[in-house]
Amino acid sequence: MALLQTTDTSALGAQGLQGNGALSRWASQHAAILILGLLLVILPAAAGEFILVQVVGWSLILGMIALSLMFLAGYGGMVSLAQMTVAGVAGYMIAVFGTSSLPAISLFWPWWVAAPIAIAIAVAFGTLAGALSARTEGIYTIMITLALASAFFYLTLQNWPIFNGFNGFTTIPAPHFLGVNWKAPVPLYYMILFFAALSYAAVVYISRTPFGLALQGVRDNPRRMEAIGYNVTAHRIAAYAFAALIAAIGGILLVWQNNQISPFSVGVNVVINILIIAVIGGLSHPIGPFIGAIIYVILRTFALDSLVAVGLDGRRFQTLIGLGFLVIVLFSPDGVIGLWRRWSARALSSRSSNNR
Amino acid sequence: MATTYSDEEIKGVKRGDALGRWIGRHPIAALVIAVVVIFALWLVLAPWPAGFENIFGKKWLFVNALFNGITLGGLYFLVASGFTLIFGLMRYVNLAHGSLYLFGGYMGYEATQWTGSWLFSFVVAFACCAVVGVAMQVLIFRRMEGEDLRQTMVTLGLSIIFSDLMVWVWGGDAIQIDTPDQLLGPMPTPIIVSVKSSGEVVFLQYARVRLVIFAAAVLIGVGMWLALHRTRIGVMIRAGVDDRDMLSVLGYRVQLLFVVVFAFGAGLAGMAGIVGGTFQSISLGEDSNFLLASLVVVIVGGLGSIPGAALGALIIGLSEQFGVVYFQNYSTVLAFVIMVIVLAIRPQGLLGRG
Amino acid sequence: MVSTRAVVAQQQQPVSSIAERMAAAGTGNAIELRGVSRFFGALAALTDITLSVRPGERRAVLGSNGAGKTTLLNCVTGDFPPTSGSVRFFGEDVTTLPPHERIRRGLRRTYQISLLFQRLTVRENVYLACRGVSRGRFSFIRTSARDSIMQSVSDLISLVHLESVADRLVGELAHGQQRQLEIALALAGAPRFILFDEPAAGLSPNERGDLVAILTALPAHIGYIIIEHDMDVALRVVESVTMMHNGRIFKEGAPHEIEADQEVQQLYLGGGNA
Repeated sequence: MALLQTTDTSALGAQGLQGNGALSRWASQHAAILILGLLLVILPAAAGEFILVQVVGWSLILGMIALSLMFLAGYGGMVSLAQMTVAGVAGYMIAVFGTSSLPAISLFWPWWVAAPIAIAIAVAFGTLAGALSARTEGIYTIMITLALASAFFYLTLQNWPIFNGFNGFTTIPAPHFLGVNWKAPVPLYYMILFFAALSYAAVVYISRTPFGLALQGVRDNPRRMEAIGYNVTAHRIAAYAFAALIAAIGGILLVWQNNQISPFSVGVNVVINILIIAVIGGLSHPIGPFIGAIIYVILRTFALDSLVAVGLDGRRFQTLIGLGFLVIVLFSPDGVIGLWRRWSARALSSRSSNNR
Repeated sequence: MATTYSDEEIKGVKRGDALGRWIGRHPIAALVIAVVVIFALWLVLAPWPAGFENIFGKKWLFVNALFNGITLGGLYFLVASGFTLIFGLMRYVNLAHGSLYLFGGYMGYEATQWTGSWLFSFVVAFACCAVVGVAMQVLIFRRMEGEDLRQTMVTLGLSIIFSDLMVWVWGGDAIQIDTPDQLLGPMPTPIIVSVKSSGEVVFLQYARVRLVIFAAAVLIGVGMWLALHRTRIGVMIRAGVDDRDMLSVLGYRVQLLFVVVFAFGAGLAGMAGIVGGTFQSISLGEDSNFLLASLVVVIVGGLGSIPGAALGALIIGLSEQFGVVYFQNYSTVLAFVIMVIVLAIRPQGLLGRG
Repeated sequence: MVSTRAVVAQQQQPVSSIAERMAAAGTGNAIELRGVSRFFGALAALTDITLSVRPGERRAVLGSNGAGKTTLLNCVTGDFPPTSGSVRFFGEDVTTLPPHERIRRGLRRTYQISLLFQRLTVRENVYLACRGVSRGRFSFIRTSARDSIMQSVSDLISLVHLESVADRLVGELAHGQQRQLEIALALAGAPRFILFDEPAAGLSPNERGDLVAILTALPAHIGYIIIEHDMDVALRVVESVTMMHNGRIFKEGAPHEIEADQEVQQLYLGGGNA
């Protein structure tokens, strides 16, 4: 089983090209996603603040950042560990340019200036990371991006004038606008849900555009792509830029949700966790990272109790995650999505054989 | 009418002298490098004039940082060479390499506690890590031949588990391995630090244990180079580095070779753990630090190249120590800046294959 | 049945305006190598190659294994640069240009071992090739079925008789069909010169006949160099031959001259071949 399977394209089959086709046909093909979307939208009616923001909201944000990794890895064949770092750059920059508890450093510019600047800087960083890794082969990319991520960690740890070193920033609230206090749980949740859904839709759409198709060609056969006229390096860097955009938005949402940022938000452990989330969910479809994220968050939130219940030391959460990750990589490298596919294929075939 | 070429024109393969041609094609670069080397030699060997010291600080600081950097480079070489060897032959980016370093350090510490012998602890550390390496190769990697990405992911999962288990057993405190008595204390060196007004020359006194370990690292490095270039196994390894498929097609016992190389690389990392525990200390988080150090060293020096690992280790060790002395808050970042520059100019590393 | 001429004429114009100007000027040689050498370490794969091919000329480059044919091809396409010497394409010095730039100036190539996108369909493979030499490579807008590029894609697929498998994954095709697809990729856009790397490799006698038919039916303005082991196929589709040996050019001439030449026979045919 390949770790990076074919991603769902069928971009130029009869259906794909006709775009919309019949709305009802599209709806029935995507029933699962639609139901999930509906549930997420009505969730605030049933769930309290903790579940809404700390569990589901956090999962959606982690899912977004992991989505940016999945885009690069699944469609581009490039496993970049720098995505969480890009998010961290955006998070730090909005603290520096916007509001925080440190008037000595923060500029207190309004959110509609600070946020775009933060995103721009983060995208620039992500593109730079891409430029450095684009000419290298797959595994080398992991090494380089990991090294870049830890470089940023050390920078934030050791630099005080801009990053406030060890302490980082606190009190970075989501803004008021359009008469809504977006810092409150329900509005915050809907803002997170909106951007998560938007980035999901963007990735799904882009995968079937000339750019997306070319990227998959670059993944499968970069030499051939050069030989039919594509500038492979340019495509890869462009992919990094697009992924950085998603990660940057995720980073800002993370800071607004968490209300703080410090070097330990961008440490090597966190950076690797994003990869784990993406792989556990599955790298072959954009819903994978979100599945991985909710699994991770649920484990993380309830691990202590469940480990103790089985008689183990509650602090061994990392071992649990590591084992889960290992199991997935060894037995179902295409993650939970792969398990789902195989299970539903078997269910369908057994149902059809029962009907004979 | 068909044109024909004479026999002389067709015969033979022209052999070129690589270094001579390089100098011929880059005369200016060669001159610049020569000047830099001569200046560096003067800096180290000659006493510094007073005016120079006013600007750049005491020579003692400089020379100390130099020796610290070189010996630290020796430690980095020990860790990174195993990493680069494993990647060079088997194309695994072994992200559990840092865990092996830490495990070796802990086991070595236990061995010194148990037997009191510093030297014996190296044997113990090597053996333990080699066993783990063999287990990893045989039980896991052999079943995933050719799936580079997947293998790397597995090492990642293993490193997370190992790390957590080690915290469970040894806790979070820093542990230091005692230097054996014979190696304690300073040793005189022929490097001039300053000249007193009385005319007496002051020489640098440097920690004996660090010099001994550096010498050992050099010996190991030379030994590895000799093994790679002069023994039959070495030829097989180098051939495998160039073309793995060809090697198995030729019928060599590739799997056995992989196990041996992995065990050796792992054992080396384990021994480096003892060195680190003696130089500095070992504790939770050091596995990450040394994995990252290996990554940076190997990116700078070139993946799959032992001389590259040596060069990279030296550069990174020096940059870190000089950074601590002269650039206070940015010592670690300096190493990464060097890495980024190398990546931008020569992505395959300084001594990496093109 | 779609005629090759019509299909190729309909292809979208080359993106590079340089290419258009050069085509208008109609200058000199299509491909010109001067003093090209290529070393791999101490091994000289190519030594002092000087070669000219006119626009529209059909040339075979023959030689045994290790003669340097594929290395020569790679230098022309830009897969790696020559150690010394220069490469000119329609008068323009392309020695240091990356492959994709040369492709956009009208150069094309096929591979000895099919380098196709196994996990994409035939149609998607051809689409990529057409898109690669036209505008909109980075487009974020999906291609609709009515876009003119899709017509070019369909025509190319018909040209190489792959209509029946157009929506199958390449990985499921037979070897001969994959080789046909290779050729379709090379005909995408407005090629001015094609390099065929052992196109007959692994083909049955019937399929070889098809290959010869496709090659001879190409429009007159498209020149090509064909590298081959199989003298039979090669000599039937070209007007001139370059023979290589040990990294050097050994002989050049018309097909019948080469066939009849004593030295060639000794080296490659092991004795008489009347």
